[in-house]
Amino acid sequence: MRSLRKQTWVKKNWHLSALMLVIVILVNLPVLLMVMNSFKTNTEIMTSSSFFPQRIQFENYVHVSERTKFWTQFKNSWIVAFYGTFFSIIVAAFAGYAISRFRGRILSLFSNSLLMLQMFPLILVLIPLFVLFRTLHMIDSHYPVIILYLTVHLPFAGWMYKGFFDSIPKDLEEAAWMDGCTRVGGFLRVVLPISGPGIAAVAIFSFLFSWNEYMIANVFLRNEEYMTIPVGLQMFMQQFSTDWGGLTAAATLAMIPVLIFFLFVQKYMIYGAVAGSVKG
Amino acid sequence: MRDERASAIGRNGAGGPGGGLLRKGALLPIYFILPSVILIAFVNAYPFLSGLLYSIRDGTLLKPGSFVWFENYGRLLQMPEFWNALQFSVIFAFFGVVGSYLVGLGLALLLNKDMPGRGFFRVALLVPWVLPSVVSIVGWRWMIGSQDSFANTVLGWFGIEPILFLGTPNWAVFSVTLIKIWRSFPFMMISLLAAIQTINQELYESAHIDGANRWQSFRYITMPQLKTISVVCWILMTIWCFNDFDTIWLLTQGGPANATENLIVLAYKYTFTKNALGIGSAIAIVSLVLLMVLAVLLLRLQREDD
Repeated sequence: MRSLRKQTWVKKNWHLSALMLVIVILVNLPVLLMVMNSFKTNTEIMTSSSFFPQRIQFENYVHVSERTKFWTQFKNSWIVAFYGTFFSIIVAAFAGYAISRFRGRILSLFSNSLLMLQMFPLILVLIPLFVLFRTLHMIDSHYPVIILYLTVHLPFAGWMYKGFFDSIPKDLEEAAWMDGCTRVGGFLRVVLPISGPGIAAVAIFSFLFSWNEYMIANVFLRNEEYMTIPVGLQMFMQQFSTDWGGLTAAATLAMIPVLIFFLFVQKYMIYGAVAGSVKG
Repeated sequence: MRDERASAIGRNGAGGPGGGLLRKGALLPIYFILPSVILIAFVNAYPFLSGLLYSIRDGTLLKPGSFVWFENYGRLLQMPEFWNALQFSVIFAFFGVVGSYLVGLGLALLLNKDMPGRGFFRVALLVPWVLPSVVSIVGWRWMIGSQDSFANTVLGWFGIEPILFLGTPNWAVFSVTLIKIWRSFPFMMISLLAAIQTINQELYESAHIDGANRWQSFRYITMPQLKTISVVCWILMTIWCFNDFDTIWLLTQGGPANATENLIVLAYKYTFTKNALGIGSAIAIVSLVLLMVLAVLLLRLQREDD
């Protein structure tokens, strides 16, 4: 009786797996088709409706590498994402620690305004800052973009940190204070070193946000030499609307760092998203 | 290396201004939030104030212009474009939130069941959420972008005439919303899945003993337990849909015939292509006010229910 029930149970769940597999393929179809197209020639893309390429060829990738600014833009994306992430994990750590450990009127005003900033329309930020940075001749510079990424991501990162710090017992710090450690010292030497997963989660979100971001980069980076990949790809989409081979190859290359990052760290990421969404 | 830097900062903190011990203790939280406050002042407070100022002047990107006070807002209320964009913003946000919530909830319930390959499915379903918007849109454009696109080829096998998914107003509204749902449901899915997994299994067992069927367990155990997280997700998603620029701009740029133009795209167009800073800023300010009202209403709804 018992084994029978177990058997039907297992069988039933293979059905569920099959269903999920179909759903996963359907959901990812636009991405899968795009990757497949990048290995086809342009003639094959336009004429054949087969899913797999007749013969895998890398012509599109060679074309993208040699004829476009793709790798320059790839480097720009790295610069912007690296510095955005680097400063974000530092500034947000201090903010997150403050809203986790300190109390008071200023602190509650601060933490509430972090929440309200979530709904601040980016367009309202972009208009005055575009005017400002243009008078400062800083359009086509990476500084404004990095500063904006850092700040736009700050509310989310700060609240994520708060979640992590809340789960660290206060006794640890208090012991350090007894030993003559300052409050800042206690934070830097006791709390931060054991918040590895928290820092990792904030870093991942910050990196992905900066790497993927389009709207800010589109306003501030107008010269092909300084563009990040999303803006470069969009230009590519408009200029070579028929070159699907090159476009899909560039798009495939652009998503590789994201997927690698994501596969290695998806556990932290899921935790972080949930912590962030529950709290903020 | 790390310790050295840490202690250097630590010493700075201890030796910083503030005088007596008590006073230093009172100022300490300020030091922690100071970098964030400076950034927020520059990137949010300053643009908000100068945005307000721009919205009552008739400036362009090149010159500040003169004060026209509420003329921009008055013109806005008489512009069919504005009402059209407002209407689309509301439709887009409503169906975006409802669609991504239903799809996310359904998949979260499926993923909560034990099955072979569950870890893989969970990760693979997050892909639409982590990809750069531009990359997804390249994929979608290939799928539905033209008369001989992939979707139309498939429809052709069933003898259905090609559909211009991005070229006719109603289909464009449908496609843009569908793609927004596609990009958003994974967030709903993992948030809800995490909440479902914290529900005490004993509740279901005792309900089962009391003779509750599956629907009743779902309706009277699962849904009430998901309420808090659901409201948070609705609020966040409403904000994100209302503020969406990427999906719309990259797919249709607001077209055809302004059918998919939301307030953000309208503000962008007025500012950066029509060079009318006053109107653009006024639209942006109106969007902020509308969002705040909406968020307050949603929060109050939740409190009343409690």
